[in-house]
Amino acid sequence: MTEMTQDSPKRGVPLWAQILVWLGLLVLLGIVALGLNRAQQGTVQPGEIIPDFKLTLFDGYTYQEKTEISFSELRGKVVVINFWASWCKPCEQEAAGLEAVWREYQPGGEVVFIGIDYVDTEPEARGYLTKFDITFPNGPDLATKISQFFRIKGVPETYFIDRNGVLQYIQVGPFTSETQIRQQVDALLNQQ
Amino acid sequence: MLADFGYGVLVVTFLVSLFAILAAILGQAKKSQKWVESSRLAMLLTFPLTTLISLTLIYLLVTNDYNIAFVYEVTSRAMPTYLKVTALWGGQAGSLLFWSWLLSAFMTAVTLRKWDRDREFLPWVVLVASVTLAFFLALNVFYENPFTRFWQTFSGVQPATFRPAGAMPFTPADGNGLNPLLRHPGMIIHPPMLYLGFVSFVIPFAFAIAALVTGRTDDRWIRITRRWTLWAWLFLSLGLVLGGRWAYDVLGWGGYWGWDPVEIAAFMPWLAGTAFLHSVMMQEKRGLLKHWNMILIILTYALVIFGTFLTRSGVLSSVHSFAQSAIGPAFFIFIGVTFVVSIALLLWRWPSLKSESQMTSMLSREALFLLNNLLFMGILVICFWGVIFPLISELVTGAKVTVGPPFYERATGPLFAALVFLMGVAPLSAWGHSTLKTLGKAIFKPLLAAFLVMVAVVIYFFVNPRLVNEYLPYALIGLFVTISTGFVTLYEFWRASQARARAQNENVFLALWWLAGRNRRRYGGYTIHLGVVLMAMGIIGIEMFQTETQGTIAKDETMSLAGYTMTFKELQDFDLNDASGQPMQNVARAVVEVYKDGKMLGELYPRRDYFYDAQQPMTIPGVRSTLQDDFYVLLVDWQPISSVGATFKIYHNPLVNWLWFGSFIFILGTFIAAWPDQDPELAPVRARKNSPAAYLTGD
Repeated sequence: MTEMTQDSPKRGVPLWAQILVWLGLLVLLGIVALGLNRAQQGTVQPGEIIPDFKLTLFDGYTYQEKTEISFSELRGKVVVINFWASWCKPCEQEAAGLEAVWREYQPGGEVVFIGIDYVDTEPEARGYLTKFDITFPNGPDLATKISQFFRIKGVPETYFIDRNGVLQYIQVGPFTSETQIRQQVDALLNQQ
Repeated sequence: MLADFGYGVLVVTFLVSLFAILAAILGQAKKSQKWVESSRLAMLLTFPLTTLISLTLIYLLVTNDYNIAFVYEVTSRAMPTYLKVTALWGGQAGSLLFWSWLLSAFMTAVTLRKWDRDREFLPWVVLVASVTLAFFLALNVFYENPFTRFWQTFSGVQPATFRPAGAMPFTPADGNGLNPLLRHPGMIIHPPMLYLGFVSFVIPFAFAIAALVTGRTDDRWIRITRRWTLWAWLFLSLGLVLGGRWAYDVLGWGGYWGWDPVEIAAFMPWLAGTAFLHSVMMQEKRGLLKHWNMILIILTYALVIFGTFLTRSGVLSSVHSFAQSAIGPAFFIFIGVTFVVSIALLLWRWPSLKSESQMTSMLSREALFLLNNLLFMGILVICFWGVIFPLISELVTGAKVTVGPPFYERATGPLFAALVFLMGVAPLSAWGHSTLKTLGKAIFKPLLAAFLVMVAVVIYFFVNPRLVNEYLPYALIGLFVTISTGFVTLYEFWRASQARARAQNENVFLALWWLAGRNRRRYGGYTIHLGVVLMAMGIIGIEMFQTETQGTIAKDETMSLAGYTMTFKELQDFDLNDASGQPMQNVARAVVEVYKDGKMLGELYPRRDYFYDAQQPMTIPGVRSTLQDDFYVLLVDWQPISSVGATFKIYHNPLVNWLWFGSFIFILGTFIAAWPDQDPELAPVRARKNSPAAYLTGD
């Protein structure tokens, strides 16, 4: 609405300005309607099978000596997908805990942790990974393809997927203890 | 039974508010004073009715009636009574009801005022307020009924307003309990304050619309609503500060403000409202910027509704995880209608809102006020863009892009600094005309003092090089601006009270007291400015010099940060019981000793409480607060069995307490400015006719 500033015309508002105002309003409402429409869908729900997606990892990160993970290769393993971002304060709260739990389960080879960096810049993301000494595979969500599929509401969010590729549990917001993460992973490990 | 009663009254209240709308329209159409009076009475009736509904719900909350779904969701037997009462705004349905309750209270207060001199506004004010009230009541009636009950049917337990066929009422033994994060004193007062702020902005908006419709476009509506605006602004400010304090105490990331979309949603109406508070003075004193004031109040109101919509509909990703709900579309339509009607009215009346005079000097007070408005609008645009940008980028490119705190900090930082500087200078310039010379003379001495202080600050950093970081240049600029503004403002107090003390032969402090009493608006404003200066110092301290570290240490081992050393002594693990001996929460509490320069300062107890009813943990930091800094320790994790080691996160937050102290001064200043005068409405009208300069200093 910046076009309606304080300089006061003698007559009414010129037609072009009126059209501009209404058009601006229309666009704004359109955008909000779009957001609303998406919001009403909510995230993917437990019980849904997660289809395949590929994640290119940050330099220096590998999974089984490859620099790319494709989700379908992880069948038979319990997968923990954590969405995070370097600008996200609550993510920092859980970062060290996630890494600690990962180090406990890594030797067993039955659990895979994947970190997906949501809308971020690479230098800052690397800084974050170094700061918390994160070793589990991490990669940027290019063009937000993966997060759009999960329809995440924000970061951090963590998705627990069982050995059959079925989503079992969603944690919205940060974990507040390592025990909380362990509980979810153990529940999935003990399935079957 | 009681639930049915509550819902019944809710429906009746909704109908009454619809009647008020209808009567106001009829009264206007038929030019019938009877209908107008009728709508006024209907408006008055809504307050006792909403009070009755709210009390019914509070009664159900306090008496643990878990047959009611809302009561089940937000309370549990283990919660103390005061928390059960405040759980009224702990969930969506109750929050909406609370909104309506406050709105009807405010409307009653407005409806009871003397309307003799502005009868023509009455039906329109009642109309706007009733429409808003009817909308919020409709949300409760149709979407979020707080009196929904649980029913046992063949297919399981389901919540419903009316009894499904063949169903029996179902009452769970205990409730879910309020989210532990919300059980903090700051969180108990934060939502009502924010709501009060939001709701009370409806009043100036209603008057503005009434002024547009009736074509009475002088500054009458501004004079009537000035104090309302101040109170609204006070509540909104309080709500924001309390929210920040709550985040600092409870969320455990060592900060108070995260540029989260929901925070911004509450901040945007504050920005528009603050700009409005300043720019109305230009209309009152110089007859300027009439269009602009209308735009600002419409914008403020629209942002209030928009903010409530954002927080309640889940449109934006946010750490404030509010429940998904069906009210989004309804809100969306309401926002659309509000915008369309207000803009249409504004365009229609545009020609009659001409300014009465012109700006003559670039350094006059009105020019500087205009600049202040532009800065506020600049910050608002940045915030709005940041909030809406993810939606736009998704629409245009298919990829979602979220802007984080660095965007907001970099974009708004310089604008905030400019605002603080202007805050010091603008009050010194005169209405109508000022020159660099007159202005320079006024700020020369305080500026010199600020410069000397800055020299001391720079020396301090030379002596303590470990404090130097990459933000230092910005911090120095920021500090210089805030300190000069602080001195300029203090100097203003000093000069004025000195002058009065000499003229009246009084003590300086007594003179200050009288001065402030006479010109509450001016000196209240200055006090607010001083509060902002102190807050800005706190913000510079924590934003630019915060340091943190994290580590796992065993018993009697130490961690160090910013000259402090912390020793982990022991970990205690115990249950807290409620009055009846039932365990309420499990507490894991670390005892740490804090040392500085080898001297023991005391013990801190960072802890983690696990609430059995809500099955949620809550982190409570151990904080050592001084005027200089906060040493803020979080218990991140611990070994439950051996209790040998624990992980801590430590923050060092320099100057942060100035932020809270400044907020206190800020609120105090608003009280001074908003405190009712003998006859707030009569005097200025006459004064205005005689000489605009006569009340240059406010009332």
